[in-house]
Amino acid sequence: MAFVRLLIFALVGLTVVYWSLSLYSASLRRERLEDDYDANPVPGQTREAYVAAGMAAYRKGLRPKLLLGVYVVPIVVVSVIIYVVNNN
Amino acid sequence: MRAIFFLLRLLPILALGGFLHYVLPQHDTVQITSTEVIRTDFSNLNRIFYAQADNGGVEQATRDLRLINTTKVRTYLLGFMPTDRTEVMVYRNEDTGWIWPPYFKFDSADLQAEASAAARADGWYSITHYGWRNRWLSIYPNAVRITPVDGPNPGIVPWFNIFFFSFLFVAFFVVRGMWRQFRERMIDPSIDAAEHQFDEARAGLAQRRSGLRRWLDSWKSKGRQ
Repeated sequence: MAFVRLLIFALVGLTVVYWSLSLYSASLRRERLEDDYDANPVPGQTREAYVAAGMAAYRKGLRPKLLLGVYVVPIVVVSVIIYVVNNN
Repeated sequence: MRAIFFLLRLLPILALGGFLHYVLPQHDTVQITSTEVIRTDFSNLNRIFYAQADNGGVEQATRDLRLINTTKVRTYLLGFMPTDRTEVMVYRNEDTGWIWPPYFKFDSADLQAEASAAARADGWYSITHYGWRNRWLSIYPNAVRITPVDGPNPGIVPWFNIFFFSFLFVAFFVVRGMWRQFRERMIDPSIDAAEHQFDEARAGLAQRRSGLRRWLDSWKSKGRQ
């Protein structure tokens, strides 16, 4: 029962962290794309289209997938702690 | 007044420091003298300083508590400055299981066996523990791990705490960056928009009023001005 409670709390907490981090990361990228366009406008492409294309490329890239590590890393850390604490 | 505000600001910092000091692992260098089991009746005052019944067992109002009696090297500055003197120290030995604090300790019976074996010898051991010893509340730090060391001054490196505080340091800046980004991209534009709207509304009002004023003024006789 305690294990289920831990799982639920961890899932909720890590989901909050995951969403915050992915929104933050996407926001940073969007800001950089906007700044890029402002500094060096692409002829024949609107600012919105440039940013949308950049964001589509971002979503396909590695970074959003790396953010799933928010779920993986605690599992690894907890496993290591369990091993270190309980082995003789 | 300023002193009161200073104290109010100091209070959360002290609470956080105390919390971390309670929960984070520390290493004591000890000689284990004996192990024992006592029946423990918890009070409302000291109940939160104990874990719960062994993982897999059921919680009762009173239960047996495993204790490890030791002679410990006295230290200063959170254990970073060992001295030549020793003092007695008693540790409890409880499962934390899947519950707080997250040590995921399930092996208190095995740890007690290790401590009993260590009590037969005269060697020095490093006890990893969390928690506080308080005689008035009758609470004990919870022993988590016992490892043999060479002598009374082994120079243990607190790796976990190094990683933990590095993580905390990084997390602080990430959260600060997040908050700044949020403010810059979400709150400031909406405030700007609101201010802009407010300005426009005020300008519109002023214009309308000036129209009214002009109309009223048109009734005034020219000579009086």
